[in-house]
Amino acid sequence: MVPTHYYLILAAIIFSMGALGVLVRRNALIIFMCVEMMLNAVNLTLVALANQWGNLSGQVFVFIVMAVAAAEVAIGLAIVMAIVRHKDTINVEEINLLKW
Amino acid sequence: MSLPTLDFSLILPELVVLITALLVLIADLLWPRAASRGREQAPAVLALAGLILAGLLTLLAGEWSGATLQGMLVADALARYLNLVVLLAAALGLLLSWSYLPHFSTQRSEYYALYLLAVAGMLFLGKSIELITLFVSLEILSIALYVLTGFHRGQLAGGEAALKYFLLGAFSSGFLLYGAALFYAATGATRLADIAAQNAGGFYMLAGLALFLVGLGFKLAVAPFHMWAPDAYQGAPTPVTAFMSVGTKAAALVALFRVVQAAGSVPVGVWATALAFLSLLTMTLGNLAALRQSSLKRMLAYSSIAHAGYLLVGVVAGTAAGFDAVLFYLFAYAFMNIGAFAIASLLERPGFYAVQDAGIHAADGLFGRRPWLAVAMAMFMLSLAGIPPLAGFFGKLYLFAAAVESGWAWLAVAGVLNSVISAYYYLRVVVGMFMAEPSASAHLRLPLPASATLAVALTALGTLLFGLLATPWFQGISR
Amino acid sequence: MAQQALFLIMAVFTLGMALGTVTSRNIFHSALFLVGSFAGVAVIYFLLEAEFVGVAQIIIYIGAIATLIIFAIMLSRSVTGQNGSPMNRQWAFAALGAALLFAALAWLFSRVDFGSTAQPVPEDAIALIGAGLVTEYVIPFEVASILLLVALVGAILIARERHS
Repeated sequence: MVPTHYYLILAAIIFSMGALGVLVRRNALIIFMCVEMMLNAVNLTLVALANQWGNLSGQVFVFIVMAVAAAEVAIGLAIVMAIVRHKDTINVEEINLLKW
Repeated sequence: MSLPTLDFSLILPELVVLITALLVLIADLLWPRAASRGREQAPAVLALAGLILAGLLTLLAGEWSGATLQGMLVADALARYLNLVVLLAAALGLLLSWSYLPHFSTQRSEYYALYLLAVAGMLFLGKSIELITLFVSLEILSIALYVLTGFHRGQLAGGEAALKYFLLGAFSSGFLLYGAALFYAATGATRLADIAAQNAGGFYMLAGLALFLVGLGFKLAVAPFHMWAPDAYQGAPTPVTAFMSVGTKAAALVALFRVVQAAGSVPVGVWATALAFLSLLTMTLGNLAALRQSSLKRMLAYSSIAHAGYLLVGVVAGTAAGFDAVLFYLFAYAFMNIGAFAIASLLERPGFYAVQDAGIHAADGLFGRRPWLAVAMAMFMLSLAGIPPLAGFFGKLYLFAAAVESGWAWLAVAGVLNSVISAYYYLRVVVGMFMAEPSASAHLRLPLPASATLAVALTALGTLLFGLLATPWFQGISR
Repeated sequence: MAQQALFLIMAVFTLGMALGTVTSRNIFHSALFLVGSFAGVAVIYFLLEAEFVGVAQIIIYIGAIATLIIFAIMLSRSVTGQNGSPMNRQWAFAALGAALLFAALAWLFSRVDFGSTAQPVPEDAIALIGAGLVTEYVIPFEVASILLLVALVGAILIARERHS
C-alpha cells in the first residue's frame, strides 16, 4: 500500500515543473502543454484524495476537469492557428505588438 | 437509485440567457426570408430581449430566500444583486456592440451567442456554492471571453491579446484547481457548506485558500497577477472590454467572498492581511501605470486594474457592510466604466483592416464638436476619480468606511491617496475636452449611432442618479 | 511490495517525461514526452484503483488532447523555427519561483500525514460514478455541457476562414 502523501508529493513535483515550463518557455504550444501537465497533476491529487476519503467526489471532479481541459485545448489551438495564419511566429516574446 | 427532482425555477434567469444564446445561433434561420430588412439586426435584438427578460425575472422574483439546487447553486440576495449587475453590464455592452460590430466582423450571431454564454457563465459563477460547479462556471466565462477577445478578425492585436489572455488564464485555472483540491484534501467535501461545517483547521485550508486567491486574482486582474489585463483589455473589441471589465470582476468577487466565508477556520487576520496588501499593490500599480499611457483605451484598462484594488478593500473588511459596499460600487462602476469605454469606442476610427485605438488626445476639443458627449465623458471621469456628488464618490465612501470600521484604516488612507493620484489622469482628459484645441484628425465628422447614444445616456443617468440617490440605494442593498 | 515498486517506477518515468516536456528543445519531442507523462499518470490511476479515470485519461488526454496538440505542431511547423534560445530571459527567476512553490507544497504534504487511514475503494466504483453524475452531481455535469457548447461555437468561430 502506497501512502497517500507519496502521490500528493509526486503530483506537486509535476505541477511545479509545469508551472516552471509556463514561466520559462517561449513557444506558445509548449507553454500550453505545460498547462495541461499542471491540470494533470491536480487530477492526480484529486484521485489520490478520493481514495483517501473513500468518496467519489474527487473522481467526479477529475472527470469534469477532463472536459474542461478538452474545451481549453480546442479553443487554445484554434487561437494559435489563427495567429499562425496571420503572422509567422508563435514565440510569445516576439509577439510584441502590445507591450507586456 | 432514483433521479432527483430539480427545481429549475431557481435558475430561471440563467436558463433564459442560455436559451436566448441558442436562439441567437439559429437566428438567421428563424428570421423569415421575405423580411430581409431587419435580418442583420435580428441576433442583437434577440440577445437584448433575452437579457432584459432575464433581468425582469431577477427583479420580479422578489426576495431570493437562499434556497439551493442540490447544494450546488444558491439563489440568495447576493446572487440576485450579482445577476442585476452582470445583466446591466451585459445589456449596456450589447448596445455598444450594435453599432461597433459591423466595423470588424460579419459574424453577428456567433458573437452574440458567445457573449450570452459568457453572461450565463458569470451568472452561474455568482450562484455557485460548490467547487466543481464554481470551477466549471468560471471556465465557461473565461473560454467565451478568450474567443471574444480575439474577435478582431484581420487585426493582429486581437489575436495576440487572446493568446496571452488564454495562456495566462489557463495557467491561473491550474492554481485555482489546486486550491480546490486542497480544500478537498482538508475536508473530503466539495460543497462550500460542508467545507465550512467541517471547520477543519490546519495547513491544507490555508494553502488551499492561498492557491485559490492566486487563481481568482488572475481572473480579477489583481496585481501582481494583472499582466494579461492591459493587453486583453486593449486588444479586445471595446464593447467586450467594457462588459468583461465589469462582469468578470463582479462574478469573481462574489465567488471570492463565498469561498473566503467557507474557509472560516483559516484565521481572518491571515487572509485579510494578504488581501489588503494585494489591494494596495493593485491600486498603486494600476494608477501609476495609467498615468503613463498614450492610448485612451489602455489608460482605461489600467484604471480598471486600479478599481479591482478598490473593490478588494470591501472584501478585506470582511463584514456584511463591506460586501454591501462592494455591490454598490459594482453598480456604480458598471455605469461609469462602461460609459467611459462607450465614449472611447465612439472616438475610435475604423480603418481598412482594423479599428484604430483612440489616442490619449482623441478627446481633445470634444466639447466644441459634441458638447453633450463631452459633458457625459466629464461625468464618467469625475465619477471614476471619486468626486462628489457622483456615483463613484459614494461607492468609495462606503468601501473605505467599511474598511475603517473593521480596523483597516491604513488601507482606507491608501485608497484615498490613490484616488488623488488617479484624479490627475482622469482630469487630464476632462481638461483636454474643454480647453484644448481639437487634434488634427478631429475635423472628421464624429458619427453618433443611436444605440451607442442610448448607452451613453443610460450610463450618464446611472452615474448621476446613483450619486444623488446613493443613500436609499445603499440601504436597499444592505437590507 | 510489488505495488510500491510499480509506483516508484511509474513515478520516476512520469517525472522524467515531464522534465523532458519542459526542457526539450524540439517541440515535437516535447509533445511526445507529454504523451509519455500522460500515460505514466494513467498507470498510476490504475494503481489507485481508479480504473474509470485511468481509461478516461487515456482516451481524453492521449487520444484527444495530445493528438490535437501534435496536429497543431505539424500545422504550424513552418513558423516554429529553432533559432535562438527556447527559454526566455526570466528563467532564473521563474526557476526560483517554481522551486519555492514545490518546497511549500512538499512541506505541506509531508507535514500533514494521512497515515494509512485510506478507505477501501468500493467494488462498484464505476457504477457509483455513473450514478453520481446523474444524481448528486447532475448540476456540474449539466453546466459542463454548456462549457462544451462554448468551446464548440468558439472554435468554429476562430478557425473559420472569412469569406467576405
